[in-house]
Amino acid sequence: MREPFDVLVIGAGVVGCAIAREMSRYQLRVGLLERELDLAMGNSGRNSGVLHGGFTYATGSLRAQTCVEGNHEFESVAAELNVPFKRSGKVVVGFTDADMKSLERFKARGEANDVRGLEIVDKKRLAELDPSAIGEFALFSPDSGILDPMAYTVALAENAAMNGAEFLFGREVSAASRREGLWELTASGETFLTRWVVNSAGMDSARISAMLGIPGYVLRGFKGEYFVLDKKAGAFLKMPVYPAPDEKGGFATHATPTIHGNVLIGPDSYVVDDFADFSSRKNRMDDLVRDGLRMFAQVKPEYFIRNFAGIRPKRINPETGEVLDFVCEARDEAPGVINLVGIESPGLTGALPLARRALGLLAARESLKPNPSFDPKRPARPVFAEADGQTRARLIAEDPEHGEIICRCETVTKAEILSAIRALPGAKTLDGIKIRTRAMMGRCQGGYCQTRVARILRDELGLPTEGILLGRKGSKMFTGSVRE
Amino acid sequence: MLKEYTCIMCPRGCDIEANIEDDLRLVSTEGAGCPKGLSYLRQELADPRRNLATSARVLGGSMPLVSVRLTGPIPKARIGEALAVIQALRLKAPIQAGQVLIENLNGLGTDVIATRQVPAAGSPEARR
Amino acid sequence: MKKEVVIIGGGPAGLAAAVKLRERGIREIVILEREENLGGILRQCIHDGFGLTRFRESLSGPEYARRFIERVWALDIPYVTEASVIGLGADRHVTAATRNGLIEYEAEAVVLAMGCRERTRGALAIPGERPAGIYTAGIAQAYINLHNMMIGREAVILGSGDIGMIMARRLTLEGAKVKGVFEILPYPCGLPRNVTQCLDDFGIPLHLSHTVVDIKGRSRLEGVTVARVDESLVPIPGTEYEIPCDSLILSVGLIPENELSLGASVVLDPRTKGPEVDEFFRTNVPGIFAAGNVLQVHDLVDFVSLEAEKLADAVARHLAGGLPPRGGVELSGDGTVGYVLPRRVGGAEDFTLSLRVKRPFRNCEIRVTQAGHLVKSLRLRKAIPAEMIRIPIRAADLAGAGAPAAAGAPASAGPLEVGVLC
Repeated sequence: MREPFDVLVIGAGVVGCAIAREMSRYQLRVGLLERELDLAMGNSGRNSGVLHGGFTYATGSLRAQTCVEGNHEFESVAAELNVPFKRSGKVVVGFTDADMKSLERFKARGEANDVRGLEIVDKKRLAELDPSAIGEFALFSPDSGILDPMAYTVALAENAAMNGAEFLFGREVSAASRREGLWELTASGETFLTRWVVNSAGMDSARISAMLGIPGYVLRGFKGEYFVLDKKAGAFLKMPVYPAPDEKGGFATHATPTIHGNVLIGPDSYVVDDFADFSSRKNRMDDLVRDGLRMFAQVKPEYFIRNFAGIRPKRINPETGEVLDFVCEARDEAPGVINLVGIESPGLTGALPLARRALGLLAARESLKPNPSFDPKRPARPVFAEADGQTRARLIAEDPEHGEIICRCETVTKAEILSAIRALPGAKTLDGIKIRTRAMMGRCQGGYCQTRVARILRDELGLPTEGILLGRKGSKMFTGSVRE
Repeated sequence: MLKEYTCIMCPRGCDIEANIEDDLRLVSTEGAGCPKGLSYLRQELADPRRNLATSARVLGGSMPLVSVRLTGPIPKARIGEALAVIQALRLKAPIQAGQVLIENLNGLGTDVIATRQVPAAGSPEARR
Repeated sequence: MKKEVVIIGGGPAGLAAAVKLRERGIREIVILEREENLGGILRQCIHDGFGLTRFRESLSGPEYARRFIERVWALDIPYVTEASVIGLGADRHVTAATRNGLIEYEAEAVVLAMGCRERTRGALAIPGERPAGIYTAGIAQAYINLHNMMIGREAVILGSGDIGMIMARRLTLEGAKVKGVFEILPYPCGLPRNVTQCLDDFGIPLHLSHTVVDIKGRSRLEGVTVARVDESLVPIPGTEYEIPCDSLILSVGLIPENELSLGASVVLDPRTKGPEVDEFFRTNVPGIFAAGNVLQVHDLVDFVSLEAEKLADAVARHLAGGLPPRGGVELSGDGTVGYVLPRRVGGAEDFTLSLRVKRPFRNCEIRVTQAGHLVKSLRLRKAIPAEMIRIPIRAADLAGAGAPAAAGAPASAGPLEVGVLC
């Protein structure tokens, strides 16, 4: 039986990893229990990668506060963690008087939320900001930005691990009980003892909350599907372009450039009951293409790379269906529990501010000693694709594995792939290598590199052929050898 | 009875319409682009033959498998038997391209040959 | 490093070009190949059927490649394996990454011979979940034939292209159950001999006018849903049925791999997805030539070798300053033809026209006309999209730009039009 943890975080998404990282600033034994085999397998890896400005959320809400705080500080966060980020700005375009009213409402709300630089711009200025945006006028949010949500989650996790946090993958929490002032969690057949439990379980947060003694939260799943478009389409889009919202204030399909140069079309939004069904549906995909073309002319089959979906766990009032604010609480009737429920957009933007609030709830109940060896900097790792000729030559000279190009579409070297496997927490599956290196994300979708990546993974981890997984538990790539 | 065949003697793949009696006797044909088509049809009716290309296990080589094929076609019905013999092989590197791995497989009159070389692992030949 | 010719790709096109160049006396050649060995895609095509026209033998892919590799060795042609070209400029500067460092070349001529990639599930936007067990046919082939890794036990194959049918047989031989090959068009997309030898021989059903409309399985594939399609290739509601399987093999098209070409400002033909070339395989960028699958997707490797050898002849002449100026006679196909290659010619020399018909024809005539005048006619009992058609065109039958009109040739140099009459 392991020594009891001081803090066990349930969920290794972006918020869970941010919490672990903030907790590691103190002398606390921190662990994360994650049901999947790797980081960011829930919504943290299934979103638009936008650093939101914060002008759509109710003033004073936790969503608004954490969003704006996270938005303002992101340059320094990106620098500390060495993650790619661009403060690209964003435009919300409109055509009608009703649209203009919506945009003016958002501007006012944004200003009340402390969002900087919001401007209503005319057609001419809109064309200067983004030549591909189609609209009569727009709300321009200069503080909005784009980032890689998986790279960000990985960076938070690696920094947390550097500072002592322990990652326990493939552990699905099924039961929780109090034992002698500690929490006893049962996860995938193992028992874990801890003084504090942080519920950061995303889609599963209402169920975990009830397990921890705080029942009654209701989450409704709003599924959003996406198309990923080729970087060639990305050349035409400088910043996220959203259509003016409908009467309910929700955004329809939009076009978002990614930090790496692709374009995401989506997400749409429809209610689902099954929180584990991330499948793409034909009618939804067709609508995305139709609606996407209204925003962006390059939604063409020759640019289709792949599709994916996320499911936003929105906390709702079960009677009225009204979408409610984030929950980040500690309650006296549930000792040792820090409870985050219904975290979805803007959870990516607000991850560290949420983490600090979670930490604050803990710090209010016990005195914490700073961790003297805490290092907030997560070292930069070379990205061959972004290096110039001279740097590339130097990288190869220092490590010949950089001279072996594995992923041709994204120019990823063997050294980078090995680094992803050897990291802490390291990649153990093909998808794990994908989110850490971008291998297999290009237009050929692993056509060239997948056979190589699979064998590198196998050899580096000493796996039997049947042990090579795509991403989820049981996602075996192979049934065995052809010849023994 | 009229039956349609696609000749496999060359990539042209001529469609041959054949008039066959009693499932055995070729009465007439139409559509063959060359005499090989007729021979193919006759063979198909009397004693259909196929070649077999597959892999055999190599130990200690730069690759785990060597691609192999038969030097000539064998009766279609005996392909499974030939396959089983090859599947049971465990060869030791180095293997030369064209090397005869099994002579006169099961008395069928054809050999099993390696269709590529498999040098010993780590040898300079491996990266050639 | 200065070279006369840098050949990007050591597959059948690159190998044939290299050998012919050396035979033409060109000395400073280098082949850059990213794999450990030369041979290209042929390394994994262990089935026979290669070389029927060229060698009058039915060879496996590796054996066909070996014929050329042995010539490369015998002629002492330099090559670098495990070298990935990561940069190509319009100035013919080539950068290759190797474990020993970056190699930079200044080339008088560059031969593009990078082959092609496979169309993916994502490119087709096939709905459904994203479990393990979905492979393009080429990847499945590489795993099974090269790496000794078995991809599944019960397979459905989407697409009746040659690779899909070859893999149907391969999987069956290795003990997997292939439940069927589903083809969206009303006719097979691969060679007829493969329908016979790969499907009929093993009792694998070929379902024409069908496609996969859904994929099920959270971690590993559990099944697919197929449906019949109408004349517009749209799935017909109510015709769907489910097929349990653990593998889905996709053989849904090949795309010439021209990312490096684009980096060098080479103009591509949207119909072939390969570079626009003239009868000398010249792209729009001076000194950059293309042949093989990177230029147009071939079905017979024998023709790849032929094409690459013609390219080598042209490159040799180019190096000696002897290629004629670029011509202005454009070639195009009408609605019956998928594409025509080359894109334009000078018309002063004989050349070979390659084309694919857009749909199957029986007892037809392929007509090449110039300004209404019939330049060449080819009668065929059968013409299918799966088979590239090659038509030799004599300069004497053309009115080329700048060339005097020969007797019987049209008076003015107009574009060449190609169509099928049936």
